[in-house]
Amino acid sequence: MARGVLIDLQRITKVFPPDTIALDNVSVSFEAGEIHALVGENGAGKSTLMKVLFGLERRNAGDILYRGEKVDFRTPREAIAAGIGMVHQEILLIPEYTVWENIVLGAEPVGPLGRLDVRRARDVVRAKIEEFQFNLDVDALVGDISVAARQKVEILKLLYRNVAVLVLDEPTAVLTPQEIPQLFGELRRLRDKGKTIIFISHRLDEVLALSDRVTVLRRGRVVGTSRTVDLTKEDLARQMVGRDVLFVSQRQPQERGDTVLRVRDLEVRGTDRHGPLHDISVEVHAGEIVGVAGVEGNGQFELVNAIMGLIPVAAGSIEIEAKDVTHADILTRRSLMSFVSQDRGRMGASLTASVLEDAIMTHHTLDPTFTRWHGVGLDYRRARSFTEEIRKRFDVSMRHPADQFQSLSGGNQQKVILGRELLLDTPFVLMDQPTRGLDIGSIEYVHQLILDLRTNGRAVLLISADLEELFMMADRIVTVYRGVMVADLPVEETNVGDVGLLMLGGIRRAHA
Amino acid sequence: MNIFFGLVSATLVGATPILLSAIGGAFTFYAGIFNIAMEGMMLMGAFCAVLGSYFLHSWLAGIACGIAGALVMAGIFVLFAVRLHTDEFLTGIALNLFAVGATTFLLRDIFRVKGAFTNAGIRAIPTVTLPLLDHIPVVGRLLSGYNAMVYVAGLVVIVAAFAIFHTRFGLRLRAAGYNAACLSSSGVPASTVRIWSLVICAVCCGLAGAYLSLGYVRLFSENMSAGRGWISLAAIILVSGNPWGIAIISLLFGFFDGLTVFLQGSRIPTQFTAMIPYAATLVSLYFYSLRRKGRT
Repeated sequence: MARGVLIDLQRITKVFPPDTIALDNVSVSFEAGEIHALVGENGAGKSTLMKVLFGLERRNAGDILYRGEKVDFRTPREAIAAGIGMVHQEILLIPEYTVWENIVLGAEPVGPLGRLDVRRARDVVRAKIEEFQFNLDVDALVGDISVAARQKVEILKLLYRNVAVLVLDEPTAVLTPQEIPQLFGELRRLRDKGKTIIFISHRLDEVLALSDRVTVLRRGRVVGTSRTVDLTKEDLARQMVGRDVLFVSQRQPQERGDTVLRVRDLEVRGTDRHGPLHDISVEVHAGEIVGVAGVEGNGQFELVNAIMGLIPVAAGSIEIEAKDVTHADILTRRSLMSFVSQDRGRMGASLTASVLEDAIMTHHTLDPTFTRWHGVGLDYRRARSFTEEIRKRFDVSMRHPADQFQSLSGGNQQKVILGRELLLDTPFVLMDQPTRGLDIGSIEYVHQLILDLRTNGRAVLLISADLEELFMMADRIVTVYRGVMVADLPVEETNVGDVGLLMLGGIRRAHA
Repeated sequence: MNIFFGLVSATLVGATPILLSAIGGAFTFYAGIFNIAMEGMMLMGAFCAVLGSYFLHSWLAGIACGIAGALVMAGIFVLFAVRLHTDEFLTGIALNLFAVGATTFLLRDIFRVKGAFTNAGIRAIPTVTLPLLDHIPVVGRLLSGYNAMVYVAGLVVIVAAFAIFHTRFGLRLRAAGYNAACLSSSGVPASTVRIWSLVICAVCCGLAGAYLSLGYVRLFSENMSAGRGWISLAAIILVSGNPWGIAIISLLFGFFDGLTVFLQGSRIPTQFTAMIPYAATLVSLYFYSLRRKGRT
């Protein structure tokens, strides 16, 4: 594989004042026609490095060579003109515009009087779609197509501008598991047509499956660049975290206690905002973790919201410790259950509130020690000491409790939420994708917390899109498919392959 | 029959200033600016048009000055709302209040009159008889013989509809409103597009103002825009900026405005008839909300 070096980053150093070294002498070279993965934990410097390349951040030292010449892009626009484009994590398209309008925007073919040459625009876009076999309708409204298709539009937007290098920032974060292989197929096809792809990720399996070479960053330094075939998952994880990471379950056998959560014959009617649930029955005992597996959109959202009392239940019952909460108000439920939402920014916390305010939510209504004058005023001294308790016990790194919640990193945000919820000390804990978007170190920590809950005799219902996570954590796994529970199996009696099949609508198994 | 012709004529005449300023506002609406300064731009335009027409002895110079006056207002809007990122709503309110104060002050300071300045030296925008149409019996009387600005307004609608929906500028303009970040990342700074939309808006409002003081009447009176900028804002929001929709709403308003003039001769109190256009705006808002409810 004799390839020429296309982009050569040499000894890049970036210091954020006063003394945070984001990039320390980073040298990486990207070769023409390769898929090069850039991996590292959150804060390792992946994004900063790419920002330096695109001129969004100024570097303090180092050179950027592109096709053998020194370059210095001042804006992403200049980089695109030179042939380097980036697909960001958040998709930036106009839902009201069609696919072709989104693609040509900013580089439109025009006729006289500045009139849009619609036919030429559509033809060019259609030709690009065919060339790379993207399977898109040029006239579809972007608001009507799936997230995966929108991502394709973003990629096409760059291809339309004839870039040679595509940088993708965690492109799989927004995709459902079954959409990922398709994206990978398309990226490989792009590589085979001579494009260079820089793939930023912290999901090890994806990196191993897709890339030709991997560069690992840790705390602003390059740990190493290797050919992917020479690496194992354990090697990669060790390079990223700087110590051995265990991918085997730490779960010890233990006797389960009494039934805590009992959901019986639960029915939820579908609306335009959510699908239906049929005949869901699940029990979670004290000291037990029950995992819910399923392809996203098969009823997990409805199950979580029905248990939390956010959508109406049509039939069936939900009991916690023999108390019927099927139609109970949310505050009553919250005195019995902790809830970690998958959406940190909207459900789990208020991003613009202070860390302290987010830390005491729910506590301030359930626990009278947080208020004064019969609930009229908040006891800020109590709130501060409580926030401090969370900070200590859950190892949150934060500057000041009055800082905005969104100033914390994703992992630290999740720790505050977990701390708040777990300190509610409820018998039942509902966790909806608690590790989504976290880096390996934080994931390991959250896993340990969940196992500690089990040891302490709490009942945990864990919803996750990550089957390996479920198999590491859960005692039993229930599988949902199209709003119906298709299986309820002890972990020892099944395996990842079987559950994967059930998730995709395979045969219905008898309840264990 | 005369009443019919009279009403048609009054409708077109009444619709013109609203139509012009609403089309201007449609550009800023599509660009994603909450622009309520049409009222102030129009008033400034009306005053400057009189100023130009009176001192330069030419209605064309009057129109040019009207546009220039509105452009100064747009410049202030750009400086504050686009460059300094102040609140668009507050900037708009400030500009509208500024326009009332400034024109009243300048009226008293330059022309030494209170209330209104009227003078034979103010050159009015001429009327136009359409060469061929004029001789066709009914059509000629319906369509010919209006103030030149009335035809300009019609032309502006067509040009605006073409520019917004069929040109590169239009695609970028609407993109600025839908998702400014997306447009900027596509290599076109959204702020540039917004500045252009404000310039266009000012030109249209300048024309509307010039029409008010040099066409509709031939004088300047304090606060003579009389809420037309606000009604044009209502028209824009009602039809989500679509130029053809704006034309219909403006004609509707012009019709009620014309009706007012007609009813003034009758025994209905003038205060009551003067209320009709505004009441009509409220009623149309009500029906519009019903239609929207039906859709969702």
